[in-house]
Amino acid sequence: MGVPAFFRWLSRKYPSIIVHCVEEKGKECNGVRIPVDTTKPNPNEVEFDNLYLDMNGIIHPCTHPEDKPAPKNEDEMMVAIFEYIDRLYNIVRPRKVLYMAIDGVAPRAKMNQQRSRRFRASKEGVELTEEKQRIREEIIQRGGYLPPEEIKERFDSNCITPGTEFMDNLAQCLRYYVADRLSNDPGWKNVVVFLSDASVPGEGEHKIMDFIRRQRAQPNHDPNTHHCLCGADADLIMLGLATHEPNFTIIREEFKPNKPRPCALCGQMGHEIKDCQGVAREKKGQHDEFADTVPVSEQEFIFIRLCVLREYLARELTMASLPFPFDFERSVDDWVFMCFFVGNDFLPHLPSLEIREGAIDRLVNIYKDVVHKTGGYLTQNGFVNLERVEMIMQAVGVAEDNIFKKRKEDDENFKRRNKEKRRRLKAEQQGPAYLTTGQFAPHALGRRDRPDVVHNARHQAYDMRMQHNKDAAQSLKAMMKNGGNSSAGPSDSTESRGVKRKAEDSDSEPEPEDNVRLWEEGWKQRYYKTKFDVDAMDDVFRRKVVQSYVEGLCWVLRYYYQGCASWKWYFPFHYAPFASDFKDIKGMFTEFEKETKPFKPLEQLMGVFPAASGNFLPTTWRNLMSNPDSSIIDFYPDDFAIDLNGKKYAWQGVALLPFVDERRLRAALADVYPDLTPEEVKRNSLGSDLLFLSRSHPLFDFIHELYRTESHESTEIPAELCHGIQGAINLDDDPILPDKTVKSPIPMLRDISQNISIGVKFKDPQYADGFVFKAVLLPDAKIPSKVLKPGDWEKGNREPWRPQLGFNPNRQQAHLDQSGFRALGHSMNRNRGGGQYSSAPPPSNYHQGSYRPPHAGSHQPFQHSRQNSLLGAPPSFHQPQFPRQQQQQQYRGGGHGWDRAMQSQQSAYQQNMNRDRGGAGPGGYQQRYDQRRDDWHDRRDDRRDNRGPQHQGYSSGRGYPPPPPSRRYNWN
Amino acid sequence: MSKLDVEDFIQQNRAVADQVETYRGYWESEKHWEPRREFILRNIGDFDDEQLDQLLSLSMVWANNVFLGCRYSTELLDRVKEMAEGIVVEDAPVFKTRDEIMKKQQGR
Repeated sequence: MGVPAFFRWLSRKYPSIIVHCVEEKGKECNGVRIPVDTTKPNPNEVEFDNLYLDMNGIIHPCTHPEDKPAPKNEDEMMVAIFEYIDRLYNIVRPRKVLYMAIDGVAPRAKMNQQRSRRFRASKEGVELTEEKQRIREEIIQRGGYLPPEEIKERFDSNCITPGTEFMDNLAQCLRYYVADRLSNDPGWKNVVVFLSDASVPGEGEHKIMDFIRRQRAQPNHDPNTHHCLCGADADLIMLGLATHEPNFTIIREEFKPNKPRPCALCGQMGHEIKDCQGVAREKKGQHDEFADTVPVSEQEFIFIRLCVLREYLARELTMASLPFPFDFERSVDDWVFMCFFVGNDFLPHLPSLEIREGAIDRLVNIYKDVVHKTGGYLTQNGFVNLERVEMIMQAVGVAEDNIFKKRKEDDENFKRRNKEKRRRLKAEQQGPAYLTTGQFAPHALGRRDRPDVVHNARHQAYDMRMQHNKDAAQSLKAMMKNGGNSSAGPSDSTESRGVKRKAEDSDSEPEPEDNVRLWEEGWKQRYYKTKFDVDAMDDVFRRKVVQSYVEGLCWVLRYYYQGCASWKWYFPFHYAPFASDFKDIKGMFTEFEKETKPFKPLEQLMGVFPAASGNFLPTTWRNLMSNPDSSIIDFYPDDFAIDLNGKKYAWQGVALLPFVDERRLRAALADVYPDLTPEEVKRNSLGSDLLFLSRSHPLFDFIHELYRTESHESTEIPAELCHGIQGAINLDDDPILPDKTVKSPIPMLRDISQNISIGVKFKDPQYADGFVFKAVLLPDAKIPSKVLKPGDWEKGNREPWRPQLGFNPNRQQAHLDQSGFRALGHSMNRNRGGGQYSSAPPPSNYHQGSYRPPHAGSHQPFQHSRQNSLLGAPPSFHQPQFPRQQQQQQYRGGGHGWDRAMQSQQSAYQQNMNRDRGGAGPGGYQQRYDQRRDDWHDRRDDRRDNRGPQHQGYSSGRGYPPPPPSRRYNWN
Repeated sequence: MSKLDVEDFIQQNRAVADQVETYRGYWESEKHWEPRREFILRNIGDFDDEQLDQLLSLSMVWANNVFLGCRYSTELLDRVKEMAEGIVVEDAPVFKTRDEIMKKQQGR
């Protein structure tokens, strides 16, 4: 979804959905890399079944990274992609399925956006090259140094579009990659790998959705499959919710704003291209050994737990006293639908709904208001009830006027605050207008070197005075030269001040002119006039726009819940109507055109590329983009208007590109189709999904047998051999077969001579025309245990709540061992003075359990620490045993912030332990890793013995925490 | 060919007019379509049937330039301007092309 703000909004509002990934790194020993063993339990303390990769989110950063030097050639790019997948595989460790989906041709509805992106990218690329050239010349003229110009060609990221040679190569490389890992990596041996390359129509994430949808509609699907989808787009969250699978997690790169980037010219960090000085590179490390390392931390990953988001949503959406029974699953669908109003890839967002202005909250409130009147939900299984949607829209429409006014107000306030802030900062920087100098210069207090005795004070004072006069005379002169436009300052800065003042005004940002002025009376007329160039009275036209938008909403929702309803439909305007314009929309949409076909890859290239990227197309095709006599020349303007639409930068604005006339495009291409080479014909054809697995997989023999008997019919997968996955398989024309060497498409990688993997074509299960995929929880689906603090927690339970940090409700905290405590104690000793044990770590740190000498055996002290914190002890029990506590008391005074934080963390921890006791919490883990149970038993017994110490431990037990032995998951 | 002439022409050549009407884009308002229709009708005599798409394309080049702010090569623009001579467009919108915006932002 083209809404970067959406994810930010979501993660701020619902913080618990995010879990940081634990990544085990490969080790290196004497220069030999030891790969991570992914057969081991997942260090994230959760097991995933299926990993889906939306490959375009991987291809882009690997081919033209923003935070590090670009790969030198295509081979390096491929290797970067392999490494990236390896990394993800290591984090997620799927046990059943790895699904890799590359964007194929997209529905027409997406073409507007794709065009606008590619036209812009092409221009930006050219501009960057020009700017580089210009600055390079400047620097070299000034005698600066720059590394010699790179020989490599600029990588045109536009080639990441189905149908290009690059995408074809990528598909080949991925086949090789899969075969290699299946043959050599034990972590892959039971996994079925699906590869849906760019020759299969559909956007990557939607191909994935189609797979999930079609699997879960067949009886062999395991309703408790844990899905993990990789990709950064916000719409993956919507898609995940739309599946109604209870265990769905998204993994994405953590977004860190303002990451440093290397200068595009000299490759050094710390400045942008326009500030490049052409200074020689500094030596990195003593012997320049860090020359090639980039001083930024590696991009880290986060999980987004949709089951937690569902918990949040349940809280927000649950409504009492409805005139119809409340169904949470349906309300989730409505929520997803309403998010589309705020933005999606296929429709421009409504002008009154800005995510940053809390549009979704507003919608939810309206929804809850209106749903009492609507008598039901807005959507069902991806089909929209327009009558009810109209009620929502009208309610938004009522507020529209105020929203625009408020927006203006906020905007002004923001600007004013910014200006004030700048002024304040400037004032702070400037310092006093006059400073004494020389011996009288101010000295900082508290320094070692005291100022010397003043010598010759009179002379010094005279000097200072004269200097001052000189400055004043100079500035007077300067002032007169400049026409006296600046106020006379006493010191040196008169001239620069005059300049500064000017700069201050200019950096209050030149306002993009806004002719619409939504905050002023008559905004609707002006909007239609400026954006559509029609009269506001032109109801016919306005209804056309509304109708298209209504169709769009229906199309998008259907796309998410049922798959692509029409490959042809698109929104034929650059702007959305107002919410208040949605009147009488009930009859505006009935059904989409049936049996529409996607474009062929090369056709789509013609539809989305600017003429400048024509090099990816055959000559005669390319010619159509530039020849003035071409019958489709109007699709390819050299330059186009951008409407900033209230935004500041060109890239945020709306690119006013003409729409493609499909009929004319196809007609024009009919003439040049014969010019395609056989290789191009192949690239232009629709391909098939592929399935790979290794010899140890149960389905292997079955497939191998098909190849041996050369059965050329489509065969159903026996679901019992393949984790309940169904689908039809067909022999591949150029298959990967066991014991057949797989040639490496990349010179720097070896051929696989010992291949033990096999590949076939795969087709998702087919359903009858008109089949409706149900947006419901499956009957046997188990809802994962709750993570959020129950609303009535305080009432029912006495213990403070402890938030869950990872996937595992019983996550173990890290502990220091004895030596760690000694080290800590040693360094803490200094400032404290006092008794022997005052070298204790800060009070109430770790487990407040009182000190117990570590002689009680390896197990015990640890347990006690837990127990104490957990259950506490009456003072009578504790104090005689641990007299030191008295001593500790003195440090208690005024619980510091961090101090309290430790307590709450601690106490929250209790909650988890309690859960164990109740036998409720642990969920899946315990079932899977039975060994742990014994462990629990041990401790439970122990706990009973110690039941006393709780309150003591918590409230005043600031004793020396015992050094607990490290105890981690012992799953293997 | 003035506005009146266009209407005369449409009256007299119903079939052609109907055919041309099918070339209207869904997004085109009256204000945008009428001049383009005029453009097509004015020049339709100079194009054979199989060249019709080329005429349509040129009409779009012209319309995109006038109503959407697109720029094409000078050669092409000169050509369509010549073909459009005499078509009156009142109150055409004003645009800033991407290049102009970038230039302005750089100048800062």
